[in-house]
Amino acid sequence: MTDDKDVLRDVWFGRIPTCFTLYQDEITEREAEPYYLLLPRVSYLTLVTDKVKKHFQKVMRQEDISEIWFEYEGTPLKWHYPIGLLFDLLASNTALPWNITVHFKSFPEKDLLHCPSKDTIEAHFMSCMKEADALKHKSQVINEMQKKDHKQLWMGLQNDKFDQFWAINRKLMEYPAEDNGFRYIPFRIYQATTERPFIQKLFRPVAADGQLHTLGDLLKEVCPSAITTEDGVKKNQIMIHGIEPMLETPLQWLSEHLSYPDNFLHISIIPQPTD
Amino acid sequence: MSKTHFQTRNGTSVTEQLFPQAEDDLELFSDDSEVVGPAAASEVIRYEYHVLYSYSYGVPVLYFRASFLDGRPLTLKEIWDGVHQFYKAHLLQEPWSTITQQEHPILGQPFFVLHPCKTNEFMTSLLENSEKDNRNINYITSWLSIVGPVVGLNLPLSYAKAMSQHDAKPDCYQVSESNLTC
Repeated sequence: MTDDKDVLRDVWFGRIPTCFTLYQDEITEREAEPYYLLLPRVSYLTLVTDKVKKHFQKVMRQEDISEIWFEYEGTPLKWHYPIGLLFDLLASNTALPWNITVHFKSFPEKDLLHCPSKDTIEAHFMSCMKEADALKHKSQVINEMQKKDHKQLWMGLQNDKFDQFWAINRKLMEYPAEDNGFRYIPFRIYQATTERPFIQKLFRPVAADGQLHTLGDLLKEVCPSAITTEDGVKKNQIMIHGIEPMLETPLQWLSEHLSYPDNFLHISIIPQPTD
Repeated sequence: MSKTHFQTRNGTSVTEQLFPQAEDDLELFSDDSEVVGPAAASEVIRYEYHVLYSYSYGVPVLYFRASFLDGRPLTLKEIWDGVHQFYKAHLLQEPWSTITQQEHPILGQPFFVLHPCKTNEFMTSLLENSEKDNRNINYITSWLSIVGPVVGLNLPLSYAKAMSQHDAKPDCYQVSESNLTC
Protein backbone atom coordinates (compact mmCIF):
# COMPACT_ATOMS: atom_id res chain seq x y z
CA MET A 1 0.00 0.00 0.00
CA THR A 2 1.48 3.34 -1.04
CA ASP A 3 2.41 5.54 1.85
CA ASP A 4 0.93 9.03 1.88
CA LYS A 5 4.48 10.35 2.09
CA ASP A 6 5.20 8.96 -1.38
CA VAL A 7 2.64 11.43 -2.70
CA LEU A 8 4.78 14.28 -1.39
CA ARG A 9 7.75 13.01 -3.44
CA ASP A 10 5.70 12.45 -6.56
CA VAL A 11 4.37 15.99 -6.37
CA TRP A 12 7.80 17.51 -5.74
CA PHE A 13 9.54 15.66 -8.59
CA GLY A 14 6.87 16.23 -11.25
CA ARG A 15 8.36 17.52 -14.50
CA ILE A 16 7.05 19.02 -17.74
CA PRO A 17 9.02 18.52 -20.95
CA THR A 18 9.29 21.95 -22.52
CA CYS A 19 10.62 23.36 -25.78
CA PHE A 20 11.73 26.99 -25.69
CA THR A 21 11.80 28.87 -29.00
CA LEU A 22 13.03 32.42 -29.51
CA TYR A 23 10.38 34.84 -30.75
CA GLN A 24 10.85 35.33 -34.48
CA ASP A 25 11.07 39.15 -34.29
CA GLU A 26 13.98 39.09 -31.87
CA ILE A 27 17.19 40.29 -33.51
CA THR A 28 19.85 37.57 -33.69
CA GLU A 29 23.31 37.33 -35.15
CA ARG A 30 22.81 33.69 -36.09
CA GLU A 31 19.98 31.19 -36.12
CA ALA A 32 18.66 30.41 -32.64
CA GLU A 33 18.08 26.71 -32.02
CA PRO A 34 15.17 25.72 -29.77
CA TYR A 35 16.14 24.71 -26.24
CA TYR A 36 14.64 21.67 -24.48
CA LEU A 37 14.27 21.44 -20.72
CA LEU A 38 12.36 19.43 -18.11
CA LEU A 39 10.65 22.04 -15.94
CA PRO A 40 9.83 21.29 -12.29
CA ARG A 41 6.08 21.61 -11.79
CA VAL A 42 6.50 23.07 -8.32
CA SER A 43 8.96 25.83 -9.20
CA TYR A 44 8.79 29.17 -10.99
CA LEU A 45 9.80 30.01 -14.57
CA THR A 46 12.36 32.69 -13.78
CA LEU A 47 13.97 30.46 -11.15
CA VAL A 48 14.73 27.55 -13.48
CA THR A 49 15.44 29.15 -16.87
CA ASP A 50 18.95 30.57 -16.47
CA LYS A 51 20.21 28.03 -19.03
CA VAL A 52 17.46 29.06 -21.45
CA LYS A 53 18.45 32.70 -21.11
CA LYS A 54 22.14 31.97 -21.64
CA HIS A 55 21.40 29.79 -24.65
CA PHE A 56 19.55 32.53 -26.54
CA GLN A 57 21.69 35.41 -25.38
CA LYS A 58 24.65 33.66 -27.05
CA VAL A 59 23.19 34.54 -30.46
CA MET A 60 22.07 38.07 -29.62
CA ARG A 61 23.77 41.40 -29.13
CA GLN A 62 23.79 42.93 -25.67
CA GLU A 63 21.84 46.00 -26.83
CA ASP A 64 18.94 43.86 -28.09
CA ILE A 65 18.48 42.17 -24.71
CA SER A 66 16.30 43.45 -21.91
CA GLU A 67 14.17 41.60 -19.38
CA ILE A 68 13.29 38.05 -20.45
CA TRP A 69 9.66 37.02 -20.54
CA PHE A 70 7.77 33.95 -21.71
CA GLU A 71 4.63 33.46 -23.69
CA TYR A 72 2.42 30.53 -24.69
CA GLU A 73 0.17 30.90 -27.74
CA GLY A 74 0.05 34.65 -27.32
CA THR A 75 -0.54 34.61 -23.56
CA PRO A 76 2.27 36.14 -21.47
CA LEU A 77 3.20 33.62 -18.76
CA LYS A 78 3.05 34.87 -15.19
CA TRP A 79 6.35 33.83 -13.65
CA HIS A 80 4.89 34.25 -10.18
CA TYR A 81 2.49 31.33 -10.78
CA PRO A 82 3.99 27.85 -10.26
CA ILE A 83 4.99 26.20 -13.55
CA GLY A 84 2.67 23.23 -13.02
CA LEU A 85 -0.28 25.56 -12.56
CA LEU A 86 0.49 27.44 -15.78
CA PHE A 87 0.77 24.19 -17.72
CA ASP A 88 -2.40 22.63 -16.30
CA LEU A 89 -4.37 25.79 -16.88
CA LEU A 90 -3.16 26.58 -20.40
CA ALA A 91 -1.73 23.50 -22.06
CA SER A 92 -2.59 20.29 -20.24
CA ASN A 93 -4.67 18.85 -23.04
CA THR A 94 -2.26 19.59 -25.85
CA ALA A 95 0.57 17.41 -27.11
CA LEU A 96 3.93 17.45 -25.38
CA PRO A 97 6.43 19.07 -25.34
CA TRP A 98 5.03 22.33 -24.02
CA ASN A 99 6.02 24.98 -26.57
CA ILE A 100 7.00 28.24 -24.92
CA THR A 101 8.17 31.35 -26.79
CA VAL A 102 10.99 33.41 -25.33
CA HIS A 103 11.06 37.23 -25.57
CA PHE A 104 13.74 39.79 -24.72
CA LYS A 105 11.92 42.92 -25.90
CA SER A 106 8.63 44.75 -25.34
CA PHE A 107 8.00 43.57 -21.81
CA PRO A 108 4.19 43.49 -21.33
CA GLU A 109 3.98 45.96 -18.42
CA LYS A 110 0.24 45.61 -18.07
CA ASP A 111 0.28 41.83 -17.78
CA LEU A 112 3.42 40.71 -16.04
CA LEU A 113 5.22 41.51 -12.82
CA HIS A 114 8.88 42.41 -13.21
CA CYS A 115 11.42 39.89 -12.00
CA PRO A 116 14.69 41.79 -11.68
CA SER A 117 16.43 39.17 -9.55
CA LYS A 118 16.19 35.89 -7.65
CA ASP A 119 15.45 37.97 -4.55
CA THR A 120 12.15 38.99 -6.12
CA ILE A 121 11.17 35.34 -6.53
CA GLU A 122 12.22 34.59 -2.97
CA ALA A 123 10.20 37.53 -1.63
CA HIS A 124 7.15 36.42 -3.58
CA PHE A 125 7.52 32.79 -2.48
CA MET A 126 7.93 33.72 1.19
CA SER A 127 5.00 36.11 0.96
CA CYS A 128 2.79 33.24 -0.29
CA MET A 129 4.02 30.95 2.48
CA LYS A 130 3.24 33.60 5.07
CA GLU A 131 -0.22 34.14 3.73
CA ALA A 132 -0.84 30.37 3.74
CA ASP A 133 0.21 30.17 7.37
CA ALA A 134 -1.91 33.17 8.27
CA LEU A 135 -4.84 31.09 7.04
CA LYS A 136 -3.73 27.78 8.58
CA HIS A 137 -2.31 28.86 11.92
CA LYS A 138 -2.91 32.62 12.30
CA SER A 139 0.77 32.96 11.30
CA GLN A 140 1.90 31.36 14.58
CA VAL A 141 3.98 28.55 13.09
CA ILE A 142 5.81 30.59 10.48
CA ASN A 143 6.48 33.45 12.88
CA GLU A 144 7.95 31.07 15.45
CA MET A 145 10.52 29.93 12.91
CA GLN A 146 13.92 31.51 12.76
CA LYS A 147 15.22 33.35 9.75
CA LYS A 148 17.42 30.38 8.92
CA ASP A 149 14.36 28.13 8.71
CA HIS A 150 12.78 30.50 6.20
CA LYS A 151 16.04 30.47 4.25
CA GLN A 152 16.06 26.69 4.29
CA LEU A 153 12.59 26.55 2.75
CA TRP A 154 13.69 28.85 -0.04
CA MET A 155 17.01 27.10 -0.62
CA GLY A 156 15.26 23.74 -0.67
CA LEU A 157 13.00 24.96 -3.46
CA GLN A 158 15.74 26.75 -5.35
CA ASN A 159 18.10 23.76 -5.28
CA ASP A 160 15.44 21.09 -5.72
CA LYS A 161 16.22 19.53 -2.33
CA PHE A 162 13.10 17.66 -1.17
CA ASP A 163 14.45 16.60 2.24
CA GLN A 164 15.90 20.01 3.03
CA PHE A 165 12.57 21.65 2.21
CA TRP A 166 10.33 19.19 4.05
CA ALA A 167 12.49 19.16 7.19
CA ILE A 168 11.00 22.61 7.83
CA ASN A 169 7.78 22.48 5.83
CA ARG A 170 6.45 19.54 7.87
CA LYS A 171 5.98 21.95 10.78
CA LEU A 172 3.63 24.01 8.61
CA MET A 173 1.55 20.88 8.01
CA GLU A 174 0.89 20.18 11.69
CA TYR A 175 -2.16 21.22 13.66
CA PRO A 176 -3.26 21.02 17.32
CA ALA A 177 -4.43 17.57 18.40
CA GLU A 178 -7.81 18.89 19.50
CA ASP A 179 -8.57 20.29 16.04
CA ASN A 180 -9.16 18.10 13.03
CA GLY A 181 -7.22 20.26 10.65
CA PHE A 182 -6.05 23.75 9.81
CA ARG A 183 -8.03 26.85 10.64
CA TYR A 184 -8.69 27.68 6.98
CA ILE A 185 -7.40 25.94 3.85
CA PRO A 186 -5.07 27.99 1.64
CA PHE A 187 -6.36 27.52 -1.91
CA ARG A 188 -6.79 29.39 -5.17
CA ILE A 189 -9.03 28.29 -8.01
CA TYR A 190 -8.09 29.34 -11.54
CA GLN A 191 -10.18 29.30 -14.68
CA ALA A 192 -8.68 30.64 -17.91
CA THR A 193 -12.05 31.70 -19.27
CA THR A 194 -12.95 34.11 -16.48
CA GLU A 195 -12.03 37.80 -16.02
CA ARG A 196 -10.84 37.34 -12.49
CA PRO A 197 -7.38 35.81 -12.12
CA PHE A 198 -8.45 33.43 -9.32
CA ILE A 199 -10.97 32.72 -6.59
CA GLN A 200 -9.73 32.73 -3.01
CA LYS A 201 -12.04 32.66 -0.01
CA LEU A 202 -12.05 31.62 3.64
CA PHE A 203 -13.00 27.96 3.88
CA ARG A 204 -12.72 25.61 6.83
CA PRO A 205 -11.54 22.00 6.37
CA VAL A 206 -13.93 20.72 9.05
CA ALA A 207 -17.67 21.31 9.29
CA ALA A 208 -19.41 22.30 12.51
CA ASP A 209 -20.45 18.69 13.08
CA GLY A 210 -16.83 17.51 12.79
CA GLN A 211 -17.18 16.06 9.29
CA LEU A 212 -14.25 16.64 6.97
CA HIS A 213 -15.07 18.90 4.02
CA THR A 214 -14.25 17.47 0.60
CA LEU A 215 -12.95 18.96 -2.62
CA GLY A 216 -16.51 18.75 -3.90
CA ASP A 217 -17.78 20.70 -0.88
CA LEU A 218 -15.26 23.45 -1.59
CA LEU A 219 -16.24 23.76 -5.24
CA LYS A 220 -19.94 23.69 -4.46
CA GLU A 221 -19.42 26.58 -2.07
CA VAL A 222 -17.02 28.86 -3.94
CA CYS A 223 -17.28 27.85 -7.59
CA PRO A 224 -20.45 25.85 -8.24
CA SER A 225 -20.33 26.42 -12.00
CA ALA A 226 -17.17 24.31 -12.12
CA ILE A 227 -18.97 21.11 -11.20
CA THR A 228 -22.37 21.53 -12.81
CA THR A 229 -23.06 19.10 -15.57
CA GLU A 230 -24.71 19.80 -18.89
CA ASP A 231 -27.36 17.09 -19.29
CA GLY A 232 -25.38 14.81 -17.01
CA VAL A 233 -22.20 15.35 -19.01
CA LYS A 234 -19.11 16.57 -17.15
CA LYS A 235 -18.19 20.02 -18.46
CA ASN A 236 -14.89 20.63 -16.68
CA GLN A 237 -11.80 18.95 -15.32
CA ILE A 238 -10.73 19.84 -11.79
CA MET A 239 -6.97 19.54 -11.96
CA ILE A 240 -4.16 19.72 -9.41
CA HIS A 241 -0.59 18.73 -10.40
CA GLY A 242 -1.83 17.28 -13.65
CA ILE A 243 -4.32 14.89 -12.07
CA GLU A 244 -8.02 14.99 -11.24
CA PRO A 245 -8.48 14.05 -7.56
CA MET A 246 -11.80 12.50 -6.66
CA LEU A 247 -14.27 15.12 -5.46
CA GLU A 248 -14.79 13.02 -2.32
CA THR A 249 -11.18 13.59 -1.23
CA PRO A 250 -11.01 15.41 2.11
CA LEU A 251 -9.73 18.95 1.62
CA GLN A 252 -7.49 18.69 4.69
CA TRP A 253 -5.69 15.71 3.12
CA LEU A 254 -5.31 17.58 -0.17
CA SER A 255 -3.89 20.58 1.65
CA GLU A 256 -1.32 18.43 3.44
CA HIS A 257 -0.27 16.36 0.44
CA LEU A 258 -1.05 18.19 -2.79
CA SER A 259 -0.16 21.75 -1.90
CA TYR A 260 2.61 23.44 -3.81
CA PRO A 261 5.75 24.40 -1.87
CA ASP A 262 4.11 27.77 -1.11
CA ASN A 263 1.55 25.74 0.89
CA PHE A 264 -1.32 26.71 -1.38
CA LEU A 265 -3.59 24.33 -3.28
CA HIS A 266 -3.56 25.80 -6.79
CA ILE A 267 -6.57 24.28 -8.53
CA SER A 268 -7.29 24.59 -12.27
CA ILE A 269 -10.74 24.39 -13.83
CA ILE A 270 -10.35 23.50 -17.47
CA PRO A 271 -12.84 22.48 -20.14
CA GLN A 272 -13.27 18.72 -20.43
CA PRO A 273 -11.47 17.62 -23.61
CA THR A 274 -13.87 16.31 -26.22
CA ASP A 275 -11.87 13.39 -27.59
CA MET B 1 -12.92 51.38 -3.39
CA SER B 2 -10.86 53.06 -6.02
CA LYS B 3 -9.65 56.52 -6.69
CA THR B 4 -7.94 58.08 -9.62
CA HIS B 5 -6.25 61.37 -9.61
CA PHE B 6 -4.08 63.29 -11.96
CA GLN B 7 -1.03 65.12 -10.88
CA THR B 8 1.59 67.07 -12.72
CA ARG B 9 5.19 66.22 -12.10
CA ASN B 10 5.71 69.33 -10.01
CA GLY B 11 3.05 68.14 -7.64
CA THR B 12 -0.06 70.16 -8.48
CA SER B 13 -3.09 68.01 -8.07
CA VAL B 14 -5.73 68.30 -10.76
CA THR B 15 -8.75 66.14 -10.00
CA GLU B 16 -9.81 63.74 -7.31
CA GLN B 17 -12.67 61.30 -7.17
CA LEU B 18 -13.52 58.57 -4.72
CA PHE B 19 -15.98 55.86 -5.55
CA PRO B 20 -17.01 53.43 -2.83
CA GLN B 21 -17.72 49.98 -4.20
CA ALA B 22 -18.80 46.61 -2.91
CA GLU B 23 -15.79 44.56 -1.82
CA ASP B 24 -15.80 42.23 -4.75
CA ASP B 25 -16.78 44.64 -7.43
CA LEU B 26 -14.20 47.13 -8.57
CA GLU B 27 -14.41 49.58 -11.38
CA LEU B 28 -11.81 52.00 -12.52
CA PHE B 29 -12.86 55.56 -13.00
CA SER B 30 -10.90 58.28 -14.65
CA ASP B 31 -12.22 61.54 -15.85
CA ASP B 32 -10.00 62.74 -18.65
CA SER B 33 -12.28 65.65 -19.41
CA GLU B 34 -11.36 67.34 -16.16
CA VAL B 35 -7.64 67.33 -16.74
CA VAL B 36 -6.20 70.79 -17.07
CA GLY B 37 -3.67 71.10 -19.85
CA PRO B 38 -0.21 70.51 -18.39
CA ALA B 39 2.50 73.09 -18.45
CA ALA B 40 5.17 72.39 -21.05
CA ALA B 41 7.85 71.51 -18.53
CA SER B 42 5.81 69.00 -16.55
CA GLU B 43 4.06 65.75 -17.43
CA VAL B 44 0.69 64.59 -16.22
CA ILE B 45 0.67 61.39 -14.20
CA ARG B 46 -2.42 59.29 -13.61
CA TYR B 47 -2.50 57.66 -10.18
CA GLU B 48 -4.88 54.87 -9.30
CA TYR B 49 -5.52 53.74 -5.76
CA HIS B 50 -7.59 50.73 -4.79
CA VAL B 51 -8.54 49.70 -1.30
CA LEU B 52 -9.10 45.96 -1.09
CA TYR B 53 -9.85 43.73 1.83
CA SER B 54 -7.56 40.81 2.60
CA TYR B 55 -9.53 37.89 3.99
CA SER B 56 -6.29 36.11 4.82
CA TYR B 57 -5.02 38.89 7.10
CA GLY B 58 -8.35 40.48 7.95
CA VAL B 59 -7.15 43.98 7.10
CA PRO B 60 -7.52 46.49 4.27
CA VAL B 61 -4.69 46.62 1.74
CA LEU B 62 -3.70 49.52 -0.46
CA TYR B 63 -3.00 48.75 -4.12
CA PHE B 64 -1.74 51.53 -6.36
CA ARG B 65 -0.18 52.25 -9.70
CA ALA B 66 0.74 55.27 -11.76
CA SER B 67 1.21 55.91 -15.45
CA PHE B 68 1.88 58.77 -17.80
CA LEU B 69 -0.98 59.75 -20.10
CA ASP B 70 0.61 57.84 -22.97
CA GLY B 71 0.18 54.69 -20.91
CA ARG B 72 3.78 54.22 -19.86
CA PRO B 73 3.75 52.97 -16.27
CA LEU B 74 5.89 54.59 -13.60
CA THR B 75 8.47 52.46 -11.89
CA LEU B 76 8.44 52.23 -8.13
CA LYS B 77 11.42 54.56 -8.04
CA GLU B 78 9.56 57.18 -10.09
CA ILE B 79 6.53 56.97 -7.79
CA TRP B 80 8.84 57.10 -4.80
CA ASP B 81 10.35 60.32 -6.12
CA GLY B 82 6.89 61.87 -5.88
CA VAL B 83 6.46 61.04 -2.19
CA HIS B 84 6.84 63.90 0.26
CA GLN B 85 10.26 64.15 1.92
CA PHE B 86 8.75 63.72 5.38
CA TYR B 87 7.22 60.39 4.55
CA LYS B 88 10.32 59.18 2.79
CA ALA B 89 12.36 59.52 5.94
CA HIS B 90 9.57 57.93 7.97
CA LEU B 91 9.16 55.03 5.58
CA LEU B 92 12.84 54.22 5.64
CA GLN B 93 12.68 53.90 9.42
CA GLU B 94 9.48 51.91 9.61
CA PRO B 95 9.90 48.46 8.09
CA TRP B 96 6.15 47.85 8.24
CA SER B 97 5.71 49.68 5.00
CA THR B 98 7.30 47.36 2.49
CA ILE B 99 6.11 48.01 -1.03
CA THR B 100 6.17 45.22 -3.56
CA GLN B 101 4.77 44.71 -7.02
CA GLN B 102 1.91 42.21 -6.99
CA GLU B 103 -0.93 40.99 -9.15
CA HIS B 104 -4.23 42.74 -8.41
CA PRO B 105 -6.47 39.85 -7.26
CA ILE B 106 -9.46 41.06 -9.25
CA LEU B 107 -7.98 42.83 -12.26
CA GLY B 108 -5.03 40.48 -12.66
CA GLN B 109 -2.70 43.38 -13.52
CA PRO B 110 0.51 44.50 -11.82
CA PHE B 111 0.06 47.00 -9.00
CA PHE B 112 2.25 48.16 -6.17
CA VAL B 113 1.08 47.04 -2.76
CA LEU B 114 1.69 48.34 0.70
CA HIS B 115 2.37 45.28 2.83
CA PRO B 116 -0.50 44.63 5.23
CA CYS B 117 1.20 42.77 8.02
CA LYS B 118 1.66 45.55 10.55
CA THR B 119 -1.72 47.09 9.88
CA ASN B 120 -3.28 45.28 12.82
CA GLU B 121 -0.73 46.67 15.26
CA PHE B 122 -1.12 50.32 14.51
CA MET B 123 -4.86 50.15 13.88
CA THR B 124 -5.47 48.39 17.21
CA SER B 125 -3.79 51.12 19.20
CA LEU B 126 -5.57 53.77 17.17
CA LEU B 127 -8.98 52.22 17.77
CA GLU B 128 -8.31 51.74 21.47
CA ASN B 129 -7.28 55.35 21.90
CA SER B 130 -10.31 56.66 20.08
CA GLU B 131 -12.59 54.52 22.25
CA LYS B 132 -10.95 55.98 25.35
CA ASP B 133 -11.50 59.52 24.12
CA ASN B 134 -15.00 58.65 23.02
CA ARG B 135 -14.27 59.79 19.50
CA ASN B 136 -16.02 58.26 16.53
CA ILE B 137 -13.71 57.18 13.79
CA ASN B 138 -14.13 55.42 10.50
CA TYR B 139 -11.63 52.56 10.25
CA ILE B 140 -11.03 53.00 6.56
CA THR B 141 -10.63 56.77 6.70
CA SER B 142 -8.18 56.53 9.59
CA TRP B 143 -6.22 53.70 8.02
CA LEU B 144 -6.04 55.46 4.68
CA SER B 145 -4.91 58.71 6.26
CA ILE B 146 -1.97 56.83 7.79
CA VAL B 147 -0.84 54.68 4.88
CA GLY B 148 -1.99 56.85 1.99
CA PRO B 149 0.47 59.76 2.20
CA VAL B 150 3.32 57.28 2.31
CA VAL B 151 2.57 56.47 -1.32
CA GLY B 152 1.44 59.90 -2.45
CA LEU B 153 -2.27 59.57 -1.67
CA ASN B 154 -3.36 62.53 0.40
CA LEU B 155 -6.76 62.31 1.97
CA PRO B 156 -8.62 65.64 1.96
CA LEU B 157 -9.53 66.99 5.38
CA SER B 158 -13.19 66.91 4.36
CA TYR B 159 -13.22 63.15 4.99
CA ALA B 160 -12.33 63.60 8.64
CA LYS B 161 -14.74 66.51 9.03
CA ALA B 162 -17.53 64.41 7.55
CA MET B 163 -16.84 61.71 10.12
CA SER B 164 -16.91 63.95 13.15
CA GLN B 165 -20.35 65.21 12.13
CA HIS B 166 -21.59 61.68 11.65
CA ASP B 167 -22.97 59.75 14.60
CA ALA B 168 -21.61 56.45 13.30
CA LYS B 169 -19.67 54.17 15.59
CA PRO B 170 -16.43 52.62 14.32
CA ASP B 171 -17.29 50.44 11.38
CA CYS B 172 -17.79 46.73 11.04
CA TYR B 173 -14.06 46.03 10.74
CA GLN B 174 -13.11 43.67 13.49
CA VAL B 175 -9.58 43.85 14.70
CA SER B 176 -8.60 40.29 15.39
CA GLU B 177 -6.24 39.35 18.17
CA SER B 178 -3.61 37.72 16.06
CA ASN B 179 -0.43 39.69 16.03
CA LEU B 180 0.71 39.72 12.47
CA THR B 181 4.33 40.48 11.79
CA CYS B 182 6.34 40.41 8.62
